[in-house]
Amino acid sequence: MNSISNLEAVDNIINSTGKVIKKEPISDFQVAYEVNKSDVHQILTSLKLEGWKQLSYLSAVDWPEENKFELVYILLNWDKPVYIQIRAKIDRENPSMNSIIPIFPGAKYYEREAHEFFGIAFPGNPDYKKQLIMEQWDDIPPLRKDFDPRAYSDRKYPSREYPDNFSKKDKENESLEKQAKRRKRARKLRTGGEE
Amino acid sequence: MKEMKLFLGPQHPGMHGNASVHLFVDGDIIKRSYLLPGMLHRGFEKQMERKLWVNNIALIPRVCVPEPDINEMAFALATEKLLKLDVPERAHWIRMIMLEFARISAHLMAYGGLGGPTGNYTLMYHAHIDRNLILDIFEKISGARIYHQYIVIGGVRKDLPEGIDEEINAYLNDLESRLNEYRDLGIDNPSVVKRIKDTIMLPEAVVWELGVTGIGMRSATNKPYDIRKVMPYARYNQVEFEVPISDYSDARSRLDIKIKEVQQSINIIRQCLDKMPEGEVRVKPSRGQSMRWTVPKGYVYAPVESSRGEFGYYMVSNGGTTPWRVGVRGASYPQGLLGIEKYLPGTRIDDAALWVDTMGICSPEIDR
Amino acid sequence: MISTKYTEKKKFNKQEIDRKWWEVGDYFRRNSLWLLMYCTGCCAIELPPSMTSAYDMERLGMGPMATPRQADILLVSGYLSLKTLRRLIYTYEQMSEPRYVVALGSCPINGGIYHDSHPVINQLDQYIPVDTYVAGCMPNPESVLNGFVDLMEGIKNKTANGWKKYHKNYDWYKKNQFDVLGEVVIDDEFHQ
Ligand code: SF4
Repeated sequence: MNSISNLEAVDNIINSTGKVIKKEPISDFQVAYEVNKSDVHQILTSLKLEGWKQLSYLSAVDWPEENKFELVYILLNWDKPVYIQIRAKIDRENPSMNSIIPIFPGAKYYEREAHEFFGIAFPGNPDYKKQLIMEQWDDIPPLRKDFDPRAYSDRKYPSREYPDNFSKKDKENESLEKQAKRRKRARKLRTGGEE
Repeated sequence: MKEMKLFLGPQHPGMHGNASVHLFVDGDIIKRSYLLPGMLHRGFEKQMERKLWVNNIALIPRVCVPEPDINEMAFALATEKLLKLDVPERAHWIRMIMLEFARISAHLMAYGGLGGPTGNYTLMYHAHIDRNLILDIFEKISGARIYHQYIVIGGVRKDLPEGIDEEINAYLNDLESRLNEYRDLGIDNPSVVKRIKDTIMLPEAVVWELGVTGIGMRSATNKPYDIRKVMPYARYNQVEFEVPISDYSDARSRLDIKIKEVQQSINIIRQCLDKMPEGEVRVKPSRGQSMRWTVPKGYVYAPVESSRGEFGYYMVSNGGTTPWRVGVRGASYPQGLLGIEKYLPGTRIDDAALWVDTMGICSPEIDR
Repeated sequence: MISTKYTEKKKFNKQEIDRKWWEVGDYFRRNSLWLLMYCTGCCAIELPPSMTSAYDMERLGMGPMATPRQADILLVSGYLSLKTLRRLIYTYEQMSEPRYVVALGSCPINGGIYHDSHPVINQLDQYIPVDTYVAGCMPNPESVLNGFVDLMEGIKNKTANGWKKYHKNYDWYKKNQFDVLGEVVIDDEFHQ
C-alpha cells in the first residue's frame, strides 16, 4: 500500500468539503488539519463515507492565552492506514459544539468526558451533562489550565506531617540547614524557580 | 416480574479491577446495563501536564496496570516523533521483546481470568504461575516486576543483562510446549465450552458502530487489522508473524485468538533475539539542561497495538519543559462503556462477567 | 518436679476468663485470616501471584473471600479516589468484627506518587483505622506476605486493634469522612 497516495486522497476529500485553515503532515501515516468549527460535521461525514469509519479519539485542548478550546477528532481508516486529526477551535466562554453522535455513535462517552473535564457543552448528546468519572465534583472542570490540583488537594485532603529529622540518610548532611537547603533546591528544580 | 437492580462489582470476585456494572434484570435476563467507571480516576492527564518530560516516565506505566509497557512505548513514540529523534537500532529490538512479553503476560492473565466466571480455577492457577515467570524475566531485565520504566525517550534504559537469551529461550520453549494444555483446560474443555460457545456475540456491524479494536475487531471482520501490520512501529516490519483472525466472534473464538497470539508473540521474541544487532541502546534527547529539556511545538497521536486493541497517546507540546496536553486513548473505551450499555442487554446475568473478561476491558485505562 | 501438695484452684473472675477466651480466639483467628477481595488500586496486580502457586498465601491460612460478611481483613490495595473511598467505607462497615485493615503501597500512607492529584486522598487513616502498612510502590509479593505476618504478630500482641479505635473515635472518623465525601446526593442514570 502506498501511503503517499493515501495522503493525497485525504487532501482531496477534505479540500472538496470544507476550508482548511492549516495542514500539518506529521508522518507517513498521520496528517492533521485545522478547520472551522462549522465545517467539522461535513468533513467528518465525508471522511466516514470514504472509509474513515473509526473514531479513535475525541478530546479537547485548552489554550487560555487565545481564550479558546481546541477540539480534536482523530479518525482512522484501516484499509488505507492514515490517521487524520481534525482540529477546530471554539470559544472558551460558554463553549459548545454540536454532538457528532449521528455520525459516530461511539462518540457518546468521549463527549461526556470532554464535558466533565473541560466544561464543553455538546447539544445533541442526550446526557452529556451527567457526571461520568467523578462524583460530586465541586470545582471548575479539572483539565482546564487554571485549575490547580495541588491547591485543591492541599485544601481538601489533610496530608501527613513529618518531623524535620524524619529521615537520616548520611551522617555528613544531617544538619537541619543542609536538609532545608536540599529540600529547597529540590523544590526549585521541581517547580522551575518559583518558591 | 418486576425489574430488579443488581451490581456486579466493584467488590466482586468476577470483576476485573475496580469498576462496577449496574444491571437491571428481569429474571436472569439483563434489561439495561451500565458501566460505572471512575473509581480508579486519579487525574492522570492533569498530573502529566505538571511534570517534566523525563519525570513523566515514572508516572505513565500506571495508566494500564496489567500491561504497563505499552504506555511507555506510546509515550516514547509520541515524544520521539515530536523531537524528531532517531532511536538506536538495538533499542528497537529490545523494545519489541519487552512489548511482546507484556502481551503474553496480559493474554495469560485474561485467559486465566476465564477461570473466575466459569469456576475453572485450575486454569487460573496455571496461567498465573506462567505469568509470574515472565515477571521474573522482567525483573532480571529492568529491575522491577510490574512497572519497569524501561522504555524511555530515546531508547531503553540499559542493555539486556548477560545470559538472558538462554533464560528467555528456555521459558519460551516451556510455554510453547504447554499451549495445548491451555487449550485443553480452557476453550476445549467440554464443561467450559458450553458456557463460552455462541455467547456474547460481536457481529461485524457492531464493531464498526462502537469502534472496537484489537481482538474483538479481528475476530469479527476476518481481516488482519493490527497496528503492528498496518502501520508498523519499532521493527515490526522486519519480523515475520501472522495475525490470527476469524469470521465468527463469540467468546470462544476470541479466546482462541488469544492463545494463537501468544504463539505469534513467542515467534516474534525468538526472531528478535536472533536478529538483534549490537550497539548503543539509548540516545539522550539533549536540548537545554539535563532534565529540563524542551520539546518543540506540535501535535501528535502515537498508536500502539496493545493486547486489547489500539492504544494511543495524544500529545500536544507548546515548546515547554512539560507536556501541554496528554490524552490517553484507552483501548477498552468503546466496548467498556458503549458496548456494555448497548449490547449487553438481552444476555444473561452470568454473561456480564464473561463480557468483561473476553472483550478485554481494563478499568484503569477507562478512568485514568 | 511438680509438687503434689494440694493447692486450691485459682478462681478467675469474669474479665480474666474473657481475656483467656479472646486469646484462644485470637490464636485461631490469626491462623485463618480471610481476605476481602476488593482491588482498589494498582497494587492489586501483585495479589494474584501471591495468592496462586508461586507464593501461595494459603499456607498461612489465608484465602480470598467474596463477601464482606465473611472476611476478616479489608485489603486496601493502593490509591483511593473519592469514589472508591465511599464504597470502601460502606464495605468496612459491613464487615463483622474483629476486622483488620491492611494498606498496601505508599499511596494510602501519604499519597505516594499521587500526593498532589485532585481525586486521590492522601492519608487513609484519617477515614478508617489501619492496622498494618506495607510500603513500596508496588510492594512485591514477599513484602505483601510479610505484611500479613506482621498483622498476625499484631493480633497476637493485641496491637492490631483498629476496630476498637473506630468505635472509640467514631465521631472523629465520621466527621473526617463527611468532610471529604460530603452528603450523598446521587442523581444520575446509574441510580435511577
Ligand atoms: S503505591 Fe504505587 S503501585 Fe501502589 S497504588 Fe500507589 S502508585 Fe500504584
